[in-house]
Amino acid sequence: MTDVLPIPAKPLRARVDVRSSRRPWPLLKGRRIGLHVAALALLLAVLFPFLWMVQMAFRPADDVLGDALLFRPTLENFASLWQGTFPRSFVNSLLVSTLSTATSLALGVPAAYVLSRWCFRARGRVSLWILATRMAPPIAFTIPFFLAYRWVGLQDTVIGLALIYMTFNISIVIWFMQTFFAAIPKALEEAAWIDGCGVWQAFWRVTLPLAAPGLAATAVFCFIFSWNDFFFALILTRTNAITAPVAITNFLQYEGWEWGKIAAGGTLVMLPVLVFTLLVRKYLVRGLTAGGLK
Amino acid sequence: MASVTIRDLRKSYGGTAVIHGVSIDIAEGEFVTLVGPSGCGKSTLLRMIAGLEEVGGGEIRIGGCVVNDVAPKDRDIAMVFQNYALYPHKTVAQNMGFALTLKGVDKREIAARVARAAEVLGLTGLLDRYPRQLSGGQRQRVAMGRAIVRDPQVFLFDEPLSNLDAKLRVQMRAEIKELHQRLRTTSIYVTHDQIEAMTMADRIVVMRDGRVEQAGAPLDLYDRPANRFVAGFIGSPAMNFLKGRIAVNGTASFVTEGGIRLPLAKAPPASDGRPAVYGLRPEHFAIDPDGGIAVQVAVVEPTGSETQVVATLAGQEVVGVFRERLSAKPGEFLPLRPNPAAAHLFDAEDGRRLL
Ligand SMILES: Nc1ncnc2c1ncn2[C@@H]1O[C@H](COP(=O)(O)OP(=O)(O)OP(=O)(O)O)[C@@H](O)[C@H]1O
Ligand SMILES: [Mg+2]
Repeated sequence: MTDVLPIPAKPLRARVDVRSSRRPWPLLKGRRIGLHVAALALLLAVLFPFLWMVQMAFRPADDVLGDALLFRPTLENFASLWQGTFPRSFVNSLLVSTLSTATSLALGVPAAYVLSRWCFRARGRVSLWILATRMAPPIAFTIPFFLAYRWVGLQDTVIGLALIYMTFNISIVIWFMQTFFAAIPKALEEAAWIDGCGVWQAFWRVTLPLAAPGLAATAVFCFIFSWNDFFFALILTRTNAITAPVAITNFLQYEGWEWGKIAAGGTLVMLPVLVFTLLVRKYLVRGLTAGGLK
Repeated sequence: MASVTIRDLRKSYGGTAVIHGVSIDIAEGEFVTLVGPSGCGKSTLLRMIAGLEEVGGGEIRIGGCVVNDVAPKDRDIAMVFQNYALYPHKTVAQNMGFALTLKGVDKREIAARVARAAEVLGLTGLLDRYPRQLSGGQRQRVAMGRAIVRDPQVFLFDEPLSNLDAKLRVQMRAEIKELHQRLRTTSIYVTHDQIEAMTMADRIVVMRDGRVEQAGAPLDLYDRPANRFVAGFIGSPAMNFLKGRIAVNGTASFVTEGGIRLPLAKAPPASDGRPAVYGLRPEHFAIDPDGGIAVQVAVVEPTGSETQVVATLAGQEVVGVFRERLSAKPGEFLPLRPNPAAAHLFDAEDGRRLL
């Protein structure tokens, strides 16, 4: 190990990068210790509310607001959640999010591809108007949606809610994917055409696999947006299609707030987001087009 | 295999025309090289034949059928791209076998054909690698392999050997030629390399600024270039050009601007006093202590098999190539005699061949 290192920031960082990729704990010395402590403190501050909620979820009911760090963890909050209607809401949330993500990708990805490859005159304007649908405040759509849904019978249904999220997600999908597609060299598709692919086959077998990291990021984004939405779920569902975030608010009642359930529900709602993010992390950091062109 | 016929082909980008009415006939099984300076439209022409660029005018026929509006996948052509265009997410073997996979060829058959191509190209140990794990030359060979595992109507090559070292290039050149002799597939081959163009081609097409300057067998182009551009472009080191005028009084000769008289075998009719450009290839100078013109040596470059001399003749620079080893030093005078039968005359204005 060489001596470290009162030299300018750049080479320092470069060298440490190499090292830290080899060993889990890079050498801590002087200034670097300070940096690490600061980062840790910041992390704790940011995570504190979340961690607090998680520990609350595991506290016994009579000590839910206690602040002793030592307590006997229990699953009784989760058990009582399991007995109520919460599991159903959780499943609703999963269904709505998955459905809206799938449909917005299925419609948005081909649209984005066409917008990124096909040069027609109104292209710029079409893209802009697609994005504009996302800029309007949700409240502007609420009443029309509410009335229309009551009329066609989509109120309080999983499909209805998924449809709404889809309309919001699709513009994001189109904008994200358009940039990702633009970054994939057209020459690769041309090579595929020469090799015998039709336009859509080249898209499916060459372009889309190369856009996989972007696709994963976009999917996560859509899923999380649908998963986290509270506003539309609150207004457009009543009993059947209620989603997890709305269900949690049902534990805030006149006769008392059920803190244990709220915390347990909140912890569960965080879970898919965490899992998803960890799953796609590998994709997000890796560029796929390296080596294709001169 | 199929013939390729190009008639009055045009192309412009925005308002700028880059191909101005190109016509080329390529017979079934012929190997044609396209040469020309950078930016003259070789890649554009090739891409139009492949169906990757829209045709701005004229027509392209492959095997007798007009293909102007046929999709690339239905033209049954294989192409090696100037920038390789390998699929980054596929291994070398998958890259090479992709076209066959699409056609639904049997897996074992694909593996066998890929293995054979890999052997020819020296890629056998690399079949499981991804393009990003290859060197530039290896990538180029994979791009080549992707074309040769197929059995298409036409091969299109866009400078497929430009990134290889000299030895590998010579080796690959021979492989491609051998491949062509075996398969007899019509091939169009773009290159910057003189030697490649000369040695591989049945016919060379010389292009400049989106026009065909001349098309013909390599040695015809070498011996009878249609104009000064082709004369200067084909052959290395390039042909020497001397400005001056033709003089006919009894015997025909050419008088350079410096007043030096060079013999001509014959002169074009009624050309006495006409301004012209005299062209002579470097190997058509001989050393002749009796009747030679004294030129001052500037640089001597022995290559082992021959000696290249750069000298000044009447204030203009000329290059001579000699089989013998010369002991001439820079600054010395060398008696050079041009071979009158090998001299070319070009019009002083438009560069067209006079004789
Ligand atoms: N997409 C394009 N848009 C505008 N001009 C283009 C485009 N592609 C090519 N050109 C122009 O067309 C001309 C011919 O280009 P092309 O690539 O065919 O040249 P080339 O002969 O292959 O050159 P090189 O030997 O350098 O590869 C060039 O002047 C180039 O600037
Ligand atoms: Mg080119």
